[in-house]
Amino acid sequence: MISVSMKNVEKSFGGNKVLEDVTFETYEGEIFGMLGPSGAGKTTIINILTRQITADSGQWHVAASSSEIGLMLEHDGLFVQLSALDNLIVFEEIYGIPRAHTTDVLKKVGLEKAAKTKVNDLSKGMRQRLVLARALLHKPKVLFLDEPTSALDPVTARGIYWLIRDLRKAGSTIFLTTHNMEEATNLCDRVVMLHEGKIIEEGPPKDICERHGAIKTTQDLEGVFVKLTGGGLQ
Amino acid sequence: MNATKAIFKKQLKATGANPESLIQFLIYPLLALALGAMMDQDGMIDSLAGYFAQLPLPQYILDEMISGVTGQMAMAMPNMVTMQATIFAGMGLIPVVAAIISDDIERKSLRFLSMAGVKPSTYLIGVGGVVFFLSFFSSMLFSVVGSFFGVEMLIFMGAMMSAVAGSIVLGAAIGILSSNVQAAAGLSMPIAIALGFGPIFAQMNERIANIYHIFYTQQLNVIADYLNYGVSGTPLWQSFSIMWANVAVLGILFALVYRKKGIVE
Repeated sequence: MISVSMKNVEKSFGGNKVLEDVTFETYEGEIFGMLGPSGAGKTTIINILTRQITADSGQWHVAASSSEIGLMLEHDGLFVQLSALDNLIVFEEIYGIPRAHTTDVLKKVGLEKAAKTKVNDLSKGMRQRLVLARALLHKPKVLFLDEPTSALDPVTARGIYWLIRDLRKAGSTIFLTTHNMEEATNLCDRVVMLHEGKIIEEGPPKDICERHGAIKTTQDLEGVFVKLTGGGLQ
Repeated sequence: MNATKAIFKKQLKATGANPESLIQFLIYPLLALALGAMMDQDGMIDSLAGYFAQLPLPQYILDEMISGVTGQMAMAMPNMVTMQATIFAGMGLIPVVAAIISDDIERKSLRFLSMAGVKPSTYLIGVGGVVFFLSFFSSMLFSVVGSFFGVEMLIFMGAMMSAVAGSIVLGAAIGILSSNVQAAAGLSMPIAIALGFGPIFAQMNERIANIYHIFYTQQLNVIADYLNYGVSGTPLWQSFSIMWANVAVLGILFALVYRKKGIVE
């Protein structure tokens, strides 16, 4: 069943075209990756799909209401004067979730000991995990993750991968953007490659590598991107 | 209701975590008390009369000047409770609310609340509720400093809380319009000064009074003056009607601004 879709979507900001004829579909229970360098249009796609902005033309659909969507964006949006737990309590009360579930989620992301620490005093990795906890709190049908492991150490990143896989097992669709090819290869069921607002390739990471004669290693997906665009990801 | 409670509690905790911000809810009533005690109207008039008396002018001109100026001065001497209450409700609160909301926008927190299904009115009631709640205590202090008790206290509190509601909604609209706290300060201060100080100038100038008649801060001033001096050119019901009409218009403005600006830059 289709969970997220876009068809012929176009978007410009002040005459600058950031999305051009973007078309893709993701399916329920899938980890779907959107790959591309900074400025490729990944966040714009998330903003359109989460109904924060509208596209100039085309069709798009997410099979979930706003409150069934989980969101982890580049800007964390945390209440910095509150503690980690108090940040989650705000959303727990909005969604009507029992406290036991909130503390369980906090434990899952490894922040139970930092529950009473103010957000301002958390490290970057801890903040990222707290944002993920907030996104997971209401067991979303569709979870949008914008660069979920950027600037995280490998151990924390691996922990986040486990959480994402657990969520997929529970039936959620995960839509993540990244410029980390290793992350995409190991985590995603399917990916699309976005370059200057256009989709240049899509499919399972393994298929993409095979199509372009690359061996299925973490380096090769990046090699495919460089071959297709003539440039690097960073 | 859950969401309103959640936002209210979040704002209460955030305010509690920043105790310095609570000082402003105490400082205006205390200023009214201190300045009222310090202000020696008779002494000021005597000093001015003494100054005029030294001028090398014929005595009859000096007499006219002294009686004219001191007479005007006595009329224009503002009541400190009226003045500080108008400054507090009309000027102090607008930047406070604008800063809270623009901070939530700048940090993208409002975006996440909105994604969780929090409606603009819910957010406004939750955040504004905390400012309203704290302002209630400030208004009670003003009432005590101004010796308004019984029915007078009810009228004064009604006027104060109507003005507080107006400033909260206006501050919220400015907060939504501003993409960051600095922009909110830049935008809210001139508006706050115009609304807070306007009624004070209106006491000295009829034309300004006529122009400011339609603003809630002027009506707060009118009601407070009525309670102080027992005279008013505007009936109480009319003053309250003007204030509530202001709140309604500002509420519509907030809804329009929220719809137009949205929460994503």
